Amino acid sequence: MITVRKKKHYLNTDRVGYGFVLPALLFMGVFIVFPIVYNFILSFQQVDVMTLMSPHKEWIGFQNYKNVIGSQYLLKSLKNTLIFTVGCIFFQFTIGFALAILFNGPAKCLKPISGLTMISYIMPATVTAILFKFMFATSGGIFNELGLSLGLIQEPIEWLLKPDTAMWSVIITNTWSGIPFNMILLLSGLTTIPTEIYESAVIDGANSIQKFFKITLPMMKSSIEAVLVLGFVYTFKCFELIYVMTTGGPVYSTELMSIYSYRRSFMEFNFSEGGAIANILFLILFVIGLFYTKTIGKEELM
Amino acid sequence: MFSYRFKRRAGRVIPIIIAVILFIIMLFPLYWMFTCSLKTETEIFARPPYMLPPHPTLNAYISQLTMVESFPIIPSFKNSMVISLATMAISVVLSTLASYGLARYDIKFKKSIIFLFLVSQMLPQVFTLVPNFIIFKHIGIYNTYWAPIFANCTTAIPFSILMLRTYFLNIPKEVDDAALIDGCNPLTSFFRVMLPIASTGVVVSFVFSFLFGYADMMYSLTFVNDASKWPVTTGIYNVVGRYGIEWSRAMAFGCLAVAPVVIIFLLMQRYIVEGLASGAVKG
Repeated sequence: MITVRKKKHYLNTDRVGYGFVLPALLFMGVFIVFPIVYNFILSFQQVDVMTLMSPHKEWIGFQNYKNVIGSQYLLKSLKNTLIFTVGCIFFQFTIGFALAILFNGPAKCLKPISGLTMISYIMPATVTAILFKFMFATSGGIFNELGLSLGLIQEPIEWLLKPDTAMWSVIITNTWSGIPFNMILLLSGLTTIPTEIYESAVIDGANSIQKFFKITLPMMKSSIEAVLVLGFVYTFKCFELIYVMTTGGPVYSTELMSIYSYRRSFMEFNFSEGGAIANILFLILFVIGLFYTKTIGKEELM
Repeated sequence: MFSYRFKRRAGRVIPIIIAVILFIIMLFPLYWMFTCSLKTETEIFARPPYMLPPHPTLNAYISQLTMVESFPIIPSFKNSMVISLATMAISVVLSTLASYGLARYDIKFKKSIIFLFLVSQMLPQVFTLVPNFIIFKHIGIYNTYWAPIFANCTTAIPFSILMLRTYFLNIPKEVDDAALIDGCNPLTSFFRVMLPIASTGVVVSFVFSFLFGYADMMYSLTFVNDASKWPVTTGIYNVVGRYGIEWSRAMAFGCLAVAPVVIIFLLMQRYIVEGLASGAVKG
């Protein structure tokens, strides 16, 4: 009896729980919380290569933010990030949704092999970037060679060398790697809709379009929201893919905010301005994330 | 015009045709990378392009693997394995423990802790580069494997915790209580009872932690100065991205770098789907 009571007491204390959580919390405290605080401090100081490792750094208040906001690059990078994000999400959501519907219903026979497309999502972004850099190459790239052979274009398009087409190239590349993510999530949302609903709708005389808009979309609301918000966050902070493909060029035409921050920090060694840009980027993501957890995450997360 | 039967059959066949076309477009880049790695450089520039290599050759692989002046690929695979396996080990241990603690116990600041893990998933990679560069220099792990390993764990741990927590939440509390009454302490109950029940989630966290570690290029590029400690991804960026080499050799390098991912995919497809579906919805 005593032992049982002792064990019950043992179970109910929170102390045991802290023991489980503490190691991960300490780790994240050092490598996540510290960077958040540090970046904040850094963005109010004057930090370059000379002062980066020294303990004494000059405080300059909001000067970094003023410089960043005053420069033409912030607005341009914000605009690029928005174009990139909206473009990617539009295409990967549409194609991902189409594939999910096809693999769930009419093309069910192909479902077992549908997973193969996921390789594009899990392969390293660096390899994806190099592969597409090759496919977009002015000479020898498949897009140009195919277009020329079929007579669609008269001379090769300099995909990655012209500002307009460079943005399209990175959007296409990122869309390719993002489609499986959308497809799998939406597919798992689709499978939760009971087939009886569709059957009774058919009996009531609904056609395919009505079924889609009156049943599928409303029933998928939470999956769609999740896909869009997560897609937004992941695409908005996209970095490696573009860094390897264009490094923001030509003439800053594919310079997203993440690339801009990296350029200021690691190519021009103005670490404090780079930090200020990173903070602005994080703030945007944070607000969106907060909005997301407030609207749909509540009962699921907490 | 068309008979009813024809329309019905078309209605059934057209979606399959569209699905097949989309499927082929999705897989084409991978196919193209593989076939181009088997071509010679002149065949790559042929017009119209060869859809199949006319004379398949492994020359691109051989020259990429043996060329003295280029990046040593085979040792870099060892580096990739060290980095991804260590990332996997650390993040699986820390996140299984933490997710169980967060699912089962009433901890003060529980919401704030979960929120912290959520926020860390939103952090842009570039955000942590400078601060962690300074930490790593100070604790003396700059230019060692530990720097990219720890940095990768900051991505893998929050993902694993948020994903695994839902698995633990789905196990009835009675199972845990029964184990404790039967003489387990919280730790043995966790290892002998809870972990086996949540094993699918644990495998998902193994797979994704490894993939996070394997995919990274930027952390090694930033935190490791010594090219002999670079993983495959940093190597391929440095050789191909920066200096540019023959495309056939670049594609051969790419195929080698993707091979482990394809193997993991073939063995672990079910868990990858599971991770994408559950982990993403929950955070």
